Amino acid sequence: MTTQDIIRALNETFELKAEVLHGNQIRVSMHKKQVAPVLLYLKNQWGFIHLDHVSCVDWIEENVFELVYIVYRPQDQLTVLVKTKIHREHPEMENMEGFWPHMRTYQREIREMFGIEFPGFEAPREFILEGWEEIPPMRRDFDTRGYVKRTYTTRPGREDAWSVREYITRRTGEKLPDFARKYSRD
Amino acid sequence: MIMKTTSERNKQTTLFIGPQHPGITGNMMVKLLVEGDTVVRAETHIGYLHRAFEKLIEQRNWLQSFTLLCRFCVPEPDPMELTYARAVEAIEGREVPPRAKYIRTIVAELARIQSFLLWYGGQAGSAGLYTLGQWTVGDRNYILDLFEDLTGARIYHMYIWPGGVRRDLPKGWADKTRRVLDYLEKRLDDYNRLLFDNAVFQKRAQGVGIIPKDKALEWGVTGPPLKGTGIGNDVRKDEPYCAYGELDFDIPVYEGGDVWARALVRRDEIKQSIRIIRQALDKMPGGSYYNRIPNPMKWRLPAGEAWVKTESVRGEIGFYVVSDGTEKPRRVHLRGAAYTHGISVLEKILPGQNIADVSFILNSLGACPPEMER
Repeated sequence: MTTQDIIRALNETFELKAEVLHGNQIRVSMHKKQVAPVLLYLKNQWGFIHLDHVSCVDWIEENVFELVYIVYRPQDQLTVLVKTKIHREHPEMENMEGFWPHMRTYQREIREMFGIEFPGFEAPREFILEGWEEIPPMRRDFDTRGYVKRTYTTRPGREDAWSVREYITRRTGEKLPDFARKYSRD
Repeated sequence: MIMKTTSERNKQTTLFIGPQHPGITGNMMVKLLVEGDTVVRAETHIGYLHRAFEKLIEQRNWLQSFTLLCRFCVPEPDPMELTYARAVEAIEGREVPPRAKYIRTIVAELARIQSFLLWYGGQAGSAGLYTLGQWTVGDRNYILDLFEDLTGARIYHMYIWPGGVRRDLPKGWADKTRRVLDYLEKRLDDYNRLLFDNAVFQKRAQGVGIIPKDKALEWGVTGPPLKGTGIGNDVRKDEPYCAYGELDFDIPVYEGGDVWARALVRRDEIKQSIRIIRQALDKMPGGSYYNRIPNPMKWRLPAGEAWVKTESVRGEIGFYVVSDGTEKPRRVHLRGAAYTHGISVLEKILPGQNIADVSFILNSLGACPPEMER
């Protein structure tokens, strides 16, 4: 089996435009409704039984999330990246937890970190975060610095964020050489 | 460990192992429903060590990411650096000099050995055999010495960079490495006598925590747990990277799918790693060790994506990296071996097992919480 065989099969069966990404890797983009049939087709028909990875990328400029399902065929080391884009407003993707056991883990993480819903997916909502009330943190519009400022306080005695070197010179009265001052926070 | 009775008839009890428990492999918790001594249901709970590394990486440039990447998994920082560096090189199309490929191979295999030595301690310790861990952690220090000589650091090296490695082998380092390997090779017999010849370990490990061979690939099992089911998939052989394609080594495979088979695989893997490093030292090409990148603060990668895998001690590590053409990564997403082993696989194989075997099985799967939640 070669990459060209898989590309031909995907293009003819689902009318897609699969292409070689790198070496034995194939990349194919599609409408979100096609993802589940394509993944099942690759798994059952072509032996892509190993789900390597599921990832999500926030393309906030285009107002979409891109979901990437990476499946692997061990016999001849072929990899297919199945990609789809979904709108950022009310983002939903088909629940595919029955396809592979660890799909459940990936869906839990993507739901929590990007806020993408999988209708019918009943796994507990909290996975890595606890008591989270902000927007999902892996979204590009999540303000990491603002969250840290709102949530955490400075340890007493460290409010001015002195550098250790300057703190010692202030305490001891020792003069800080110019070359050392160059790297100070001030 | 907190116990809570859940059934009116007191038949079933909820038992929490971790997040602070000597038998757990880091900051995670396994919630068990038990009946008597037998596990009925298991759920992995993580989130105690989430450091938002993937989010922070999006706010750093391509090179600054390395200070975070190596901390994805404490026992195995080097495969993280290697995989990410290869992904960046794949997006940019940057070539790596042959010498750097060989040095990377040596570093990756030394990292494997030191991680296997740590595993010895955890696996033996969870069976109540504490002596071996003292020995192997002591011997591991000789490898950390080598790392310190080579990279300036013992654990987190940030040594493998896009384009090659950060510095060349120091004078005399190759000879010192050979002497350490000779020493470790002799010590393997001592480890065998203490662990594999021990009746306690044999009885505890055989027939426990079985992963069915026909389900292993579908469950996302990789590395020693997969080779312990009789399936010899290994990224170093299947899709050779660095200098693996030019070196001679075998993939140990055992049948059974239990803790015993996984332990045997790891035992043999150390021998293979020693074999690989010796060959790499003998065949080390001359020339440059680094295909220099531009000023890192202004370095922009072309828009694109890469999915790159390497073989770590615990199984496959993969990085999905996306560039939007700027000086910072758009997305860096790790697929760690523990992500499947420590959650979905563990939850599937624990029912029916004895409570006392939970941490024993957990150690055999190589569950690494910081890698699961990043």
